[in-house]
Amino acid sequence: MLTLPKAMVSRDIVIASSRTLPSFPSVVNRILSTLDDVDAHFDVLVQAVNRDPVISARVVSLANTAALRGMRAAAVVDIASAISLIGITRLRHITLISSLNTFFNGVARQGLPSFYWQHSMAAGICCEELELYADAPASLSEALLAGLLHDIGQLWLHCVYPDQTQHCQIQARQGAVDIEQLEQESFGVHHGTIGAWLAEHWSLPAAVVAAIEGHHNPEKQVNNPLTALVHVAEVISNALDLVGSGGNKVTFLSSAACQLLGLTWTDDVRALFGRIEARASHANAFFADAP
Amino acid sequence: MKTRQQYLPIELARAGMLLCEPVQVVEHGLVSMTLPASHVLTQESLNQLVAHHAEFIEVAVPDERSDEQIAVDAALSARRVMEIFSAADLTDPNMAAFFDLVLCYRSK
Repeated sequence: MLTLPKAMVSRDIVIASSRTLPSFPSVVNRILSTLDDVDAHFDVLVQAVNRDPVISARVVSLANTAALRGMRAAAVVDIASAISLIGITRLRHITLISSLNTFFNGVARQGLPSFYWQHSMAAGICCEELELYADAPASLSEALLAGLLHDIGQLWLHCVYPDQTQHCQIQARQGAVDIEQLEQESFGVHHGTIGAWLAEHWSLPAAVVAAIEGHHNPEKQVNNPLTALVHVAEVISNALDLVGSGGNKVTFLSSAACQLLGLTWTDDVRALFGRIEARASHANAFFADAP
Repeated sequence: MKTRQQYLPIELARAGMLLCEPVQVVEHGLVSMTLPASHVLTQESLNQLVAHHAEFIEVAVPDERSDEQIAVDAALSARRVMEIFSAADLTDPNMAAFFDLVLCYRSK
């Protein structure tokens, strides 16, 4: 079996390397910090749209889809009309996902597999839908963000130690050993811890940091519903095969996390699965297309 | 004609489609619009859904597959679910219930 040199990854190494990455999009923190103030929140979103041509184009593109245009004789060409048509919830959704998509693309110049971003987006959408379904005490934006960033530590590993990281992933797919354990053996830490260090460095909310760290082992964080949410969301995303990498596996589903979210696996969940699948499929097409 | 239930983003909904489940649009914590199951979408009701920022609806769409093809598709889906859960501990009641539900969802 191929043996690659081990690397001992520390918090200092992760933070030092993060300075070579593109800047984490500041609009994410601004959105989270203004959630309780509707007017300020709306201003932040409109500013983000006005400053970012990719977000602007996506907002106008969505407003001009067939059903939305059914309300109007002419195409929507201005941002204000487009925003009023699509609503603030979807505007926030587009802004968060587009900002992080740009960031991920900037980080992953070395040709990261596209399913990495698609998996992150699917998990984010699962988190949002699960938050609505389970009525978990977490904000929708934090749920989406935690889902989008839950594997950010793997992105860092891919960039800094591409060969060893790929080796761990191949072994995890072939064998019965968890990726966390393989990473722990190769790097001294797993991607959850690395992701949490990065999230903390970017001043993200403590609950999001904790969810990124504990998403493979939520039983250590029984008081953080966001951790339970991300864990179950990732399991659902894999179980439904939302991203067609062919390597999706379900190995562990925490009963404590399900209990914390009040989840029971009855036929009612079918509607949740349907919504998640439809939204993930639509989001993949929408965010993959150049606007 | 046979139909199958499907969730659609509102942008892909069309007049004439049949709602499979009631639509309840909630904005700022308040119910702003409802439509019953079995409602046939009209351009007017679609416009209202869009105006209230509904995102997804469940509709019945025609299923033109033969019974044989439906059975083949269900078997392929079941095989894929079993691959995905091949390393899962199905003696755990929580995992077993989740597996059953995914298998049932994929077999339809």
